Amino acid sequence: MTLMIPKQLKPVTNSFLGLWVFLAAFPFIWMFLISFRAPVDAFSFPPKLFAPITFEHFYTVWIVDGFWKQAINTTIVTLGTLTVSLTIGCLAGYALSRYRGNLGFYLLIAALVFRAIPHSVMLVAYKPAFWSMGIWNRYETLIIVLVAINQPFTIWMLRSFFTNIPEELDQAALVDGCNRIQTFVKVIMPVMWPGVITTGLFSFLLAYNDFMISSQLMSGDHMTMTAALSNYIFSDDSLAKLMHGVAGAVSITLPLVVLVLFFQRYIVAGLTGGAVKG
Amino acid sequence: MNLKNFLAFVGPSVLAMLALIAVPLLGVAYLSVQSSYVKTEIVEVESKVPLFGGLTKTTIEKVPQPVLDENGNPVKVWEYVGGRNYDTVADPGGLVEAIRKDRSKTAEGQPTSYRQRMYGIYRDVTDVDFWGALEFTLLYIIVTTPCIIILGFVLAILVNSVVKWIRGPLIFCSLLPHIITPVVGSLSIYWLFLDNAIVAALLEQLGMGKVYFLKSAFSIRSLIILYGVWHVTPFAFVILYAGLQTVPQDALQAAEVDGANYFQRVRYIIIPHLTALFSFIILIHLMDAYRIFEPVLVFGSNLFANSLQYLTYYILNFEDNYSKAAASAILTVIGIVILLLPSLRRTYREQKGLI
Repeated sequence: MTLMIPKQLKPVTNSFLGLWVFLAAFPFIWMFLISFRAPVDAFSFPPKLFAPITFEHFYTVWIVDGFWKQAINTTIVTLGTLTVSLTIGCLAGYALSRYRGNLGFYLLIAALVFRAIPHSVMLVAYKPAFWSMGIWNRYETLIIVLVAINQPFTIWMLRSFFTNIPEELDQAALVDGCNRIQTFVKVIMPVMWPGVITTGLFSFLLAYNDFMISSQLMSGDHMTMTAALSNYIFSDDSLAKLMHGVAGAVSITLPLVVLVLFFQRYIVAGLTGGAVKG
Repeated sequence: MNLKNFLAFVGPSVLAMLALIAVPLLGVAYLSVQSSYVKTEIVEVESKVPLFGGLTKTTIEKVPQPVLDENGNPVKVWEYVGGRNYDTVADPGGLVEAIRKDRSKTAEGQPTSYRQRMYGIYRDVTDVDFWGALEFTLLYIIVTTPCIIILGFVLAILVNSVVKWIRGPLIFCSLLPHIITPVVGSLSIYWLFLDNAIVAALLEQLGMGKVYFLKSAFSIRSLIILYGVWHVTPFAFVILYAGLQTVPQDALQAAEVDGANYFQRVRYIIIPHLTALFSFIILIHLMDAYRIFEPVLVFGSNLFANSLQYLTYYILNFEDNYSKAAASAILTVIGIVILLLPSLRRTYREQKGLI
């Protein structure tokens, strides 16, 4: 290894890494710790590392306030977005990686511009339009909106994965008498799974993490978990309510931590996917 | 692949983007030059006013009343108003006035310094919501971008030099701030800095006195920027870490043989090798930083820190003024296009060369 850090710098660099890990993880650890505490212990002076454990906040949030309903809503919306987004994204990504004309190029540039547009801009149009069309507060509406918003990112990423699959594979299939659809479904997709999983993870994160669109398009019984969190944090200043918010936040975080635990390799591949090749 | 197949394959995706991004954008542009008011008509109302002794006087008054449709709802009329909504949002008149205003003397009649005059202009300009939002959005971009690039690069170099088995856990911890739901991430930081929460309590124990993080513009802005660095550094780190794996080893060895020390190797071999990645990170971060929203919402009070995306959201939800929100939205879009133009042009050239 020719890029070893000089020995005399090691103590400095190691403590720097240690500090970073601490800073990266501490907000999570602390949030997790205080979610099991009575408000007095959570905000005590001086701060306590250990305190009696209570499940009261989780009980209130999940059972009394019906957070489980919002969890189901989030599941429906996220899975719906994931399925539709990957289906139409794979078709487009494949075509973009195989088509040689200028049109594909302009489409990619347009997608890049679309990706940059802040979501509140679209919301200005969605609000009056969906209201007058009467498709407010429906799963399908939110799913299709999230799909559209994620498409620019999805097709860029999938295209770069499809580009890695040699075109000889298509040609062989076409020579053997497959048409384009058959080639795509039977020959290309079976070797695309790593790319699909990676892109799927990011589509999942985009849908799961969205706050603005979800909280605006859905209300009442259709709220997603993230949107429901605003009930606890913006309603009033009582400490009990705040603790319920902490419990809700921890509930939203846990699936994400599990996700990283299992799919770390794919997430790293995805973040670097299009970029590292240049 | 021929054109017909291409169009069939990209059809659904393009349709989704057209219907839910492009058309709404046009709709917003249209909305931004319109304004609505409730249609009224002048109605003659006959009323009897009692006078003395049982006598009444009949008066006929002309009163404006909203016109109702068949369902009994007031009829809204939309009319073309040109740039009026933009004027309301960006207040160009006020802007000119703020710059032209005579600031040569303070209220007490003392002559002012150049710095005081500049600060006065800054205060008056950022007083208009839109310019204040633009100011903090740009400040956020300008401060966070170098921070995440430098921090991400240092982390990538360091993680790359530790023993293999420890890299996995390091990357795991580093990824957490990036994949976390932004609202939850902002909240997890916010809860640390509440007046009676752990950070303030620890500082007080250390004898720093009571620190109120959420009471001043400076500390709130710092916290939002801190959150941004915490949230995006992992992204830069992971990309640069992967880039480090592709650095040609023979070049590094040759440099070492030629007597280049560690920092020279980093400066002349590693950094040039990663240039494309740096510009990729900057491009993505520009887009994401420009639409910063959640931390502004959580740290609250657009009094202290506002962002363009939050401004549109605020006008839409709390002022309930679609036309004004549309004008603010269009100005936001113009801003991002200007900001991205250099990067877009470069991407355009690069990709043009590839295809």
